[in-house]
Amino acid sequence: MIEFLGEVAAWFADPATWSGRDGIPVRLWEHLWISGVSLTAAIGVGLPLGLAIGHTGKGARAVVAIANIGRAVPSLGLMGLAFIVLLPLGLGVGPLPTIIALTALGIPPIVVNAYVGLREVDRDLVEAARGMGMRAGEILRRVEIPIALPVILAGVRTSAVQIVATATLAAAIGGGTLGQLIYIGFNVGDQVRIFGAALVVAALSIATEIGFATLQRAATSPGLRDRAYVPTEPAQVGRGGADSSP
Amino acid sequence: MRTNRTFVLGAALLALVVSACSPGEDESPGASAGGGSQAADLPTLTVGSAGFWESAVVAEIYAQALEGAGFTVERQLEQGARDVTHPALVDGQIDLMPEYIGGYLAVTYGGEPTPDIEESLAALREELEADGLVAFEPTPGTDADGFAVRQETADELDLTTMSDLAEVADQLTWGVAQECAENPNCGPGLESVYGIDIASLDVETLGACSTAIAEALNASNIDVAQVCTTQPEIAGFNLVLLEDDQGLAPAQNIVPVVRQEIVDEAGDLLESTLNDVSALLTTEELTNLGAAIILNGESYQDAASQWLADNGL
Repeated sequence: MIEFLGEVAAWFADPATWSGRDGIPVRLWEHLWISGVSLTAAIGVGLPLGLAIGHTGKGARAVVAIANIGRAVPSLGLMGLAFIVLLPLGLGVGPLPTIIALTALGIPPIVVNAYVGLREVDRDLVEAARGMGMRAGEILRRVEIPIALPVILAGVRTSAVQIVATATLAAAIGGGTLGQLIYIGFNVGDQVRIFGAALVVAALSIATEIGFATLQRAATSPGLRDRAYVPTEPAQVGRGGADSSP
Repeated sequence: MRTNRTFVLGAALLALVVSACSPGEDESPGASAGGGSQAADLPTLTVGSAGFWESAVVAEIYAQALEGAGFTVERQLEQGARDVTHPALVDGQIDLMPEYIGGYLAVTYGGEPTPDIEESLAALREELEADGLVAFEPTPGTDADGFAVRQETADELDLTTMSDLAEVADQLTWGVAQECAENPNCGPGLESVYGIDIASLDVETLGACSTAIAEALNASNIDVAQVCTTQPEIAGFNLVLLEDDQGLAPAQNIVPVVRQEIVDEAGDLLESTLNDVSALLTTEELTNLGAAIILNGESYQDAASQWLADNGL
């Protein structure tokens, strides 16, 4: 075991590991931009949806359904499906099928957390805001979102980590990423490379987690920072039954 | 209600445990054994295979042929790649594996096979001896890494051989395996034998010999695909397999690899049965088996029984 870890360390120290089309820098960059595009798309689709459902309070059942389906659908299967559909368009080989699968993977936590985050905002505050003459959009922007922000960002954080950890799938169909090193390792029987590349993916996932956690803390309004409840897990749908009315 | 819930939970757990313990689907319907008195003297064999159709169906053919000769045979098909099947063979978890001369020699033993069958087989046998393994006679059929293009591309650019392809290599998008740069049958070989420098070309990486790479070729997402020469999709998509005119691919005939202990116990019947089968496995036969299994969805058992019946074995 120690010997193996020594070999892994030697692999990291070898300049060849850091050069060329299949070196860590090229594939790491690919991993980052594919993850970034997927996360952006997931936010673009999931956040408006979650905010709409959360603000109106309607559609709890839809949210539960989205959450459950999203956790059950295998990313590899979705990627394969996208591959087949995109082939006739000349876009099957490359990052696109993976981006589609990763976006689908990232949407549920964002939708669910946006919904629950808004639902947990004290109804009295919303009533008071309405009493002050604020309209729906204003209430959302100036009251609900700032209070719900930590929970919303926790959802983004969960999606980000899942996307970064799963982006390795792209290597199966010409999308590259750090998964390329893992596939090569498997195909030539090089366990050192498989382990090394997996370590980089793990480190990247952890860095993503820490990065977004920091962002979450920084974005939390000072008035909320003393709250006993600090969200660290993806929110569970079905809580806050008393707040089911808009 | 508590009793009810406990009962349901217990029943579910019991079902889970029972399903985990139940025997796998390794048992075949099994051809009836030959002379009953013979079966008692012959050892029981476990036949293994790698995780793809060709290895599995050849293993199943060997298995059914041996059952027909009076052996009792168990199967452990589709075990995975060589890093799983080779130790299983050496340790005795399986007794017989169909293997490819060139691939086995190069990947497991770090050897350097050539297109010459005799030379490569001799080198392989030498390595196998040290592991207590024996390789019998090779099949005439082979399955090697090859390169295919669409019919239109072949017509347009007048391509029949790899040398033809080399001349227009930079005009095409190549689909190769992720590890091509390190595989002697791909990157380095293409360079040294055909002067094709993969690193300088427009390349996409997908699994070699996969359905995905064949589909990508068929849909024009790539123009050249690294395939296996008996791959059913070649005929299925009407692709053109380019002739290896300069001999890049090593000898890739199939040999049954058996543990020495089993050979000693089983005697000549084992060797003659396997050799009789191998002699009839030509490249065309292998390709037809592939079409039956992959394109027509036949099971290994059915395809194997049918092949044995068609060939009078």
